Amino acid sequence: MSVAWEQLLPWAVALPFVGAALTPVLAARSPRWTGPWAWGVVLATVAVTVGLVAHVAEAGAFTYAIGGWSGAYGIELRFDRFAAWVLPLSLLFAVIVPFSWRYVVVSLEPARWGAFYALLLLVMGGMIGFSITGDLFNLFVFMEVTSLSSYALVAVGGRGVAAWAALKYLFLGAVASLLALLGTALLFVLTGSLNLADVAARLGPDVARGPVLIAFAALVTSFLVKAAVFPLHVWLPDAHAIAPSPVSAVLSGLVVKTGIVGLVRVVQLFHAADAVPLAGFHLALAWLGAVSIVMGAFLAIFQDDLKLMLAYSTISNVGYIVLGFGLAAPYAAVGASVHVVNHALIKTTLFLAAGALIHQTGFRTLSDLRGVARAMPQTAAVMAIGAVSIVGLPPTAGFLCKWYIALGAFEADRAPFGFALVFGALFIFVYYIRMVNALYFQAPVHARVAEATEVPWSMRAPLLLLAASCLVLGLLGGAPLAFVEPAVAGVLPVGGP
Amino acid sequence: MGVVDPRPLLAPLISFACAGLVFAAGRNAFWRRFWSLSAAAVKLALVLSMLPGTLRGVVYTFDVVAFTPGIGIAFRADAYGMFFALVSSTLWTLTTIYAIGYMRGEPDRSRFFGFFALCVSTTVGVAFAENLLTFFLFYETLTICTYPLVVHAETPEALRAGRVYLTYTLIGGGFVLLGSVMAFDAAGTLTLAQPGILPADAGGATLATIFAALIVGFGVKAAIMPLHGWLPLAMVAPTPVSALLHAVAVVKVGAFGVTRVIYNVFGVELLQDLGFATPLAWLAAFTILAGSAIALTQDHLKRRLAYSTISQLSYIVLGAALLTPFAATAAILHVAHQAFAKITMFFVVGAIQRTTGKTRVSELAGIGARMPWSMAAFTIAALSFVGVPLFAGFVTKWYLSLGALQAGAGVFVGVMLVSSLLNAAYWFPIVHLAYFRRADGGDEGVHEAPPLLLVPILICAAYVLLLGLTTQVPGMPFSVAQVAVERAFAVPAVVP
Repeated sequence: MSVAWEQLLPWAVALPFVGAALTPVLAARSPRWTGPWAWGVVLATVAVTVGLVAHVAEAGAFTYAIGGWSGAYGIELRFDRFAAWVLPLSLLFAVIVPFSWRYVVVSLEPARWGAFYALLLLVMGGMIGFSITGDLFNLFVFMEVTSLSSYALVAVGGRGVAAWAALKYLFLGAVASLLALLGTALLFVLTGSLNLADVAARLGPDVARGPVLIAFAALVTSFLVKAAVFPLHVWLPDAHAIAPSPVSAVLSGLVVKTGIVGLVRVVQLFHAADAVPLAGFHLALAWLGAVSIVMGAFLAIFQDDLKLMLAYSTISNVGYIVLGFGLAAPYAAVGASVHVVNHALIKTTLFLAAGALIHQTGFRTLSDLRGVARAMPQTAAVMAIGAVSIVGLPPTAGFLCKWYIALGAFEADRAPFGFALVFGALFIFVYYIRMVNALYFQAPVHARVAEATEVPWSMRAPLLLLAASCLVLGLLGGAPLAFVEPAVAGVLPVGGP
Repeated sequence: MGVVDPRPLLAPLISFACAGLVFAAGRNAFWRRFWSLSAAAVKLALVLSMLPGTLRGVVYTFDVVAFTPGIGIAFRADAYGMFFALVSSTLWTLTTIYAIGYMRGEPDRSRFFGFFALCVSTTVGVAFAENLLTFFLFYETLTICTYPLVVHAETPEALRAGRVYLTYTLIGGGFVLLGSVMAFDAAGTLTLAQPGILPADAGGATLATIFAALIVGFGVKAAIMPLHGWLPLAMVAPTPVSALLHAVAVVKVGAFGVTRVIYNVFGVELLQDLGFATPLAWLAAFTILAGSAIALTQDHLKRRLAYSTISQLSYIVLGAALLTPFAATAAILHVAHQAFAKITMFFVVGAIQRTTGKTRVSELAGIGARMPWSMAAFTIAALSFVGVPLFAGFVTKWYLSLGALQAGAGVFVGVMLVSSLLNAAYWFPIVHLAYFRRADGGDEGVHEAPPLLLVPILICAAYVLLLGLTTQVPGMPFSVAQVAVERAFAVPAVVP
């Protein structure tokens, strides 16, 4: 085709940013329209990302030099198969934004509506930028955009606890950012370039090994904090539980994945350069992942607060992804890459459904929400489908990824990780079965729960759509796996495990 | 001979659609019954329509989706799968009628019938699974769908039983998954269409781990001791659930899985070389005797039935583990024999509970005079379990004994004999109480179960007789079992 698809690349970042910048302008005139406006922006972004993904599937990775300044001097955008996750990302935003309409109207004063949607668009733009930049410094910049808007979104509820959670999030996020900046600066000093591909090319054997290792460690640690891998997770549970539910979905499903994408970018960068012993690094990742799975599940068991439980489960699931990459086997890496998307979908489903329950009943703990399934059967069913998906039972979206990761464990002759993974999933089921039991099979303790009504359609339609996607992605899960497969060689240690 | 045909997919899909319609019908009793019954009938007709082809040796296959080569969802109706599907769809029809009568006036009936249909959908999915992945998919879905049925009463006792049930079955599912992943890693395929897929050179330790993981995984649902703990507790469920799920669907899916592992994942030849099946046979023999011994001590009717189920299921496991054609015939046949006899008993026990409120063996004095038809059916089932000739159970024991001799393991013939005696020891007292004792309180005359309960009981009892009498009639289940065995052993499975 004669269309220059590369030209679309800057639009994927520019649209949400420009949309965010214009939102306050609109809010000043008519706050009611900020929601539909944000939705329109998201849908336009979806359209752009569809084009990008179609192009990368056809022609492989491609780049776009902003202003025509290529390579080491200018800013380069790069779109590869890992970056293609911006499509599901923007699709999820296209569901989360309409879900938020009612929430925003009920819980925020009109003066804050504009800010809420502007921040959501900024988070999306930041994540898209982070995923498609080809430049180390911009990686840092977009990470900061994402993080700063996230802090603000956590605090948008405005109560004291929210501010405290946001502050904790801010402190740890700032430390992580500083580490990323340190790593970036070191690599710039060593190689004289900030372009990812360029840095990789210049990291020859003559570059001092010590500083490279420090830069590597700084970047990896930073991204592991962002991804909330145990024991670097301490900021996550409160922030994700306190935030408004649509924001929790964004943070838990999507923002933590910037850490994973960052990790992938770092590994890609050091993949060819022989400067870092990547095999040992992968083994460490595998252990971190396995520990995260178990500890996340273990901590979740003790939670009574629905959203706090979901937040801890994110730690487990990030553990699956990190373990998948750490196993350094093609199957596992494919599974981990797709789990980035599938977990985003499932966790969004769960958080939005939890938000709907909380919105309608005013209660947020399992013991208060007992028996709510009678009053809100559809929302409860969505919650149950989400629970089954996140445990990874077939035929839902969670299953194939875990199957692939487990297969990778045996492929790499690391059977213990395979055992850990399979039985970790059972552990996770323990607390989800508690949830399903409470919602379905226990008598209501509060009149408000027994008399609750289903959520309005603007919230229900997104929920049903998400639940259906959890099932569809389980049955048709082969396509994303096949899509990402050609790219995973770039994140495995050279010469196999 | 393989033929691409959508019917193996449609069969589970019908019950699935039925579940959706039942949920949609909500509190409307007419539509709930209409959808439940018509789906059961359509499904039975659909499975029956494949029977002539199966008897000719046709295998119907249908691939739904392949994730990557070797991993996908695919259906395949071979003779053994057909046999199992026939049993479960016949019994689904009967149990639906029974359940409509039994559940009258209970709360949450749309949830009950919806999940009921889903369970049958998954059972037929298991029967027609072309590969271990599809098998696992339905196996786990079955676990999830039975849970709401087990905890239906929502009492603390039911919830506790549900918890135990899930703990056992999900850990079992974990083992199945583990074994499947390792099998795929070793064989590069998961198909169940061949007599064995695992290469002999995969390494003894790997093969042993796969065998142990898969057998433990399926053994949980097949209630092989010591993995049986969930079954007696799960009897807290409403009787139609106990009947269909714990005599047919859930436990049979486990037993079916064990046989698939032996015949289609490992294959008879490989297992004969490896010798893994011998300890399994001993474990099954132990379960047969121990289950019966515990059943003797149970006064609660449903619990006695539960332990009898545990004992009877191991006939199937033992038959499969002996690795001879006759024993395999017995294993496959017993899927039907045990199902029809046990469901008759469950139906009768449920009918007694509904009409008289009695749940214990010791309360049954004189029940034969009050409920003559029901108790006649119960007696037929009891005679079958004991293994009296002319009844279905005899055929199993006969072939199982022949199979044991074929395998050169005559000791298992002894196990059969002792088990028969034990069965007589715990079934005949019930019959004796029912017919030859008088009720303590004044006799109230004949007071049979309502027709919706009685008709399925009588049909099931008739089936028990039919299965025992028609082993030489072509087109009957016995001939299907023979076709299945011929496929696995490549030798005819008839008495020379």
